[in-house]
Amino acid sequence: MAAAGQGGRSGGGGGGSGAGGGYSSGTGSGRSGLLDKWKIDDKPVKIDKWDGSAVKNSLDDSAKKVLLEKYKYVENFGLIDGRLTICTISCFFAIVALIWDYMHPFPESKPVLALCVISSYFVMMGILTIYTSYKEKSIFLVAHRKDPTGMDPDDIWQLSSSLKRFDDQYTLKLTFISGRTKQQREAEFTRSIAKFFDHSGTLVMDAYEPEISRLHDSLATERKIK
Amino acid sequence: MVRAGVVGTQLPTSGLDIFGDLRKMNKRQLYYQVLNFAMIVSSALMIWKGLIVLTGSESPIVVVLSGSMEPAFHRGDLLFLTNFREDPIRAGEIVVFKVEGRDIPIVHRVIKVHEKDNGDIKFLTKGDNNEVDDRGLYKEGQNWLEKKDVVGRARGFLPYVGMVTIIMNDYPKFKYALLAVMGAYVLLKRES
Repeated sequence: MAAAGQGGRSGGGGGGSGAGGGYSSGTGSGRSGLLDKWKIDDKPVKIDKWDGSAVKNSLDDSAKKVLLEKYKYVENFGLIDGRLTICTISCFFAIVALIWDYMHPFPESKPVLALCVISSYFVMMGILTIYTSYKEKSIFLVAHRKDPTGMDPDDIWQLSSSLKRFDDQYTLKLTFISGRTKQQREAEFTRSIAKFFDHSGTLVMDAYEPEISRLHDSLATERKIK
Repeated sequence: MVRAGVVGTQLPTSGLDIFGDLRKMNKRQLYYQVLNFAMIVSSALMIWKGLIVLTGSESPIVVVLSGSMEPAFHRGDLLFLTNFREDPIRAGEIVVFKVEGRDIPIVHRVIKVHEKDNGDIKFLTKGDNNEVDDRGLYKEGQNWLEKKDVVGRARGFLPYVGMVTIIMNDYPKFKYALLAVMGAYVLLKRES
């Protein structure tokens, strides 16, 4: 079924699918058969163009793909793992409270519940809110460029974006932190999402990818001049 | 014709793909979807347990099921209860109590109280809209209620809001269907 879909797309898709095909040829070959049929990573992204969050997610994902595949950076999952750990710990406290309360019915469970519920769960929620607001700050990709000579500090590239509700202006910010000098440089662009999507909701990589590359090169070349 | 099928499992007529968001996710994002669902359930649970701890009552919010307290409370009203040990129970107060052996709490008014010096009390209740007191509802041979039977004292109420709970208990299939849809929405949709 997936093969028939692929064949149909490459026959009639035209420019958009040509770029998508270019990406898929390198990365699609090594995966297991079942996962291949289920994952739709490499097919052109088609979403509901009126759904703001789907638009932002697909733009973010494609920007991520460009940085990781074209420039071969390595993704760092530190920020995401931090958030996952905080959430997992909170759920753990909730489960402990539930089981304890089930085994020792209220009111004997009162002190344990008070401890688990108030001091732990809601404190963790507070920590989570602070973490997402101040540490994560709408950053959705942290990628490292491994220094080819093997000297330790990696250069760090960070991507963050914003798209206001019911607005069409999408802002993408790329931050470069040099491994050696610890200096930080950033560049961003704001475009209407109508520039990147066609009328059926398909993301046209031909229009999007050059913007990302231009953003990236503007930061990279400054480094070379220094 | 060739543009029709982009992804293999689309429904032919509407093009709806409910697993579309999930398929584009890596392992971490899939785990986050599950976590998101678990966090919503945990938050609801913790708020409920937190209310239990704060009010001291094992069921701080109850729904009035019968019309035995009209015109004060009607069927479908939501009641907020507290159960602090220091508060004395006096005649005229509205209490929610459980009869031994039954698990549905009853909301009625206290009409007679006997109190010992050390604080032990025995009290009798009656619904405002009933003809007789509640001795017929108590356990066989029991004529008075004690503090341990009290679930809480009514402190505030919201009219009509509890009708939703009554409807969901009368039609459990509706309740499960609603919960299933809400759960599926949280699990399958990707948050930004």
